[in-house]
Amino acid sequence: MRIRDYIEQSFANLSKKKLRTFLTTFGVVIGIGALVSMISFGQGVQKNITDRFRELELFNYISVSMGSQQNHYDPDNNTMDEERETKDEYLAPQFTGGLKPNVLDDSFIQKIAQLKGIESAFPEVRFPAMVRFKEKEEFSLIQVLPAYICQSSLTKLRAGKPYASDDANSLIISDSMLHRMRIKDNHEVIGQQIELTTLTLDYGFFNLGNIASFMLARSDPNTKRADRLPFSNKSYKFTIVGVMERMGFGGAMPIRSDIFIPPGPSQRMDKLSLTSIWDFFPAAGGPRQSKGYPSVSVRVSSVKYVEPVKKQIQDWGFKTFALLDQLEEMKRAFIFMDMFLFAVGMIAIVVASLGIINTMVMSILERYKEIGIMKAVGASDRDVKKIFFFESGVIGFLGGVFGLALGWAVSMLINQVVNYFLARQGVPYVNYFSFPWWLCLGAVVFSILVSLVAGIYPTIRAVRVDPVIALRHD
Amino acid sequence: MNKELRISKFLVRYSLFNFLFNNMNTTDFVETEDLTKVYSTGKIQVIALEDVNLSVRQGEFLGVTGPSGSGKSTLVNLLGGLDTPSSGNIKVHGRFISELNKEELALYRRYQVGMIFQSFNLISSYTAVENVAFPLLFAGVAKRERNSRAEQLLAKLGLSGRKDHLPSELSGGEQQRVAIARALINQPKILLADEPTGNLDSKTSRQIVQTLSDLNKSQGLTVIVISHQESLLAEFADNVIRLCDGKVVGQVKSQ
Repeated sequence: MRIRDYIEQSFANLSKKKLRTFLTTFGVVIGIGALVSMISFGQGVQKNITDRFRELELFNYISVSMGSQQNHYDPDNNTMDEERETKDEYLAPQFTGGLKPNVLDDSFIQKIAQLKGIESAFPEVRFPAMVRFKEKEEFSLIQVLPAYICQSSLTKLRAGKPYASDDANSLIISDSMLHRMRIKDNHEVIGQQIELTTLTLDYGFFNLGNIASFMLARSDPNTKRADRLPFSNKSYKFTIVGVMERMGFGGAMPIRSDIFIPPGPSQRMDKLSLTSIWDFFPAAGGPRQSKGYPSVSVRVSSVKYVEPVKKQIQDWGFKTFALLDQLEEMKRAFIFMDMFLFAVGMIAIVVASLGIINTMVMSILERYKEIGIMKAVGASDRDVKKIFFFESGVIGFLGGVFGLALGWAVSMLINQVVNYFLARQGVPYVNYFSFPWWLCLGAVVFSILVSLVAGIYPTIRAVRVDPVIALRHD
Repeated sequence: MNKELRISKFLVRYSLFNFLFNNMNTTDFVETEDLTKVYSTGKIQVIALEDVNLSVRQGEFLGVTGPSGSGKSTLVNLLGGLDTPSSGNIKVHGRFISELNKEELALYRRYQVGMIFQSFNLISSYTAVENVAFPLLFAGVAKRERNSRAEQLLAKLGLSGRKDHLPSELSGGEQQRVAIARALINQPKILLADEPTGNLDSKTSRQIVQTLSDLNKSQGLTVIVISHQESLLAEFADNVIRLCDGKVVGQVKSQ
């Protein structure tokens, strides 16, 4: 028999029982559709994250924090104290016996900036504040961003312009925050005043009288409670100069915030960053000069500089974190996620394959006599086997093609619905599903393979049909 | 094994098969030697055929008659390669059929024998022409040629006007003629008919046996017909033997 004849025969035989063929194929369609949707979701998330990381050059980013490494950097003479071990990374500098600590200060940032391949290095300073604009309030984490970073290609402005200098009393706001504040026109906010209210520790609270009354209030329910917490707030006015685009998976690392201000006003503001325990210890010096910044963001111009720069910084006794190191971990996590989604999708496929087995066995029982006739007129066991395998394969092929179409359609629908709701919260449009060519081809091939496997048992039954008995069968 | 190698092996085997069946010049075209078939169901054994020795010449019309359960259908199934003997041999054109493997038996059924059955055994969802063309499917013949050859055969048997009808739309006689056409489509050397008149009235039965006789005479086909109708066989067949309890018990007609 020729291949074309097998295919024609399969379609002809399957079309004799249209409803049954439709229902069986529909089972496969649902199974493949579910599998395709699941895998395309996994692929979509993976693609979005890795593409975004590459697009934003997140793999070029190194975060430097005060470390526990053995070496210690002396910013004045760039020497290492390799013999000393850090006793406790949480100990305040003044408790370390006067030894030179690892300090992330401006001089250190300048040293880093001189290394080969460095694109930018600036302190990571974030602090919480209440943002008040046009009688609307929104809580946000404010990021301090130097003017030159703000003027670079790392930031994408939708309206206005970057602030002119590090000392300007102006800020940049993200479009998603404006969206949350129900402001649709990005341009209308340019030049307008906005108020930031920061939280700070009220050191005046910490006197014996206050502490005693606070303790009594806690121990004796009849005593009047302390009437306030040891915090105070302070408001600052800024002028909005620009509106920055906020992207689906955050902005360019390490630019991730809704409000950006220059370093000058930041230094003048009373604030709690809440990123360091030292914020609660005024004796530690308050200003950054003695304890430095909690972390420093370093961007290199190419991925190839990540390792040497990282090594140099570690040699100076600081901790480093690079997303590049996490890439392998991420890949493993993606594989695990894909496997999980695949396993969920496989449940539908297993159910569908049981449908195929049922249909094919029914078909064989109905065509019992026909199989006998086939054998009587000269069909070999191989011919019979191929006829039934082709029928299973055709169910699989149709199920695969239409399942792929269903999976695509459902994914697109979910994508639209999810994006519709997320857009209302200011999240930009993201394609959560991805259909690479191998998924499309693989879905159809996999469907055919599953159908062929499901067809093994019915085919064996067909081959074993005794023509003598079958020809007597009514 | 690659495709080319498989095809070459098939062609060698097929050529050898054709050589063995088509080029041996023996007087006895179909022979059986102590042919025995025993059916076992659990502990019960039923002897369907016992030591049957037959000899059929090329181009002979042999009639086999006998009561129900005498082993007539078993004999046809064994001669047609649908079943295998418990003991004894079947020799067709000098080749032992019992020595053929499954694939070779399929080729034997496809090219050497045509079979006709009492209940016609047509595929109910196929038209007359599709039923006739069906064996050509397994011979790898293209669809256009399959249909053309089937239509020609139907025309020869007087059924050209019924070619697009389903079996359910045909009379018993017409269905049997479609079955005859199907049996002839691969130009076999032997035509085996198992009670071809069993479901037909006497007039149609006569027409069918007449058709088989004509084919025997015009094409030199070796025809073996099994029937209860001893007189009908005696009228058309060259030789008629009688089977009873699986044994040949007599010769009704001998040339």
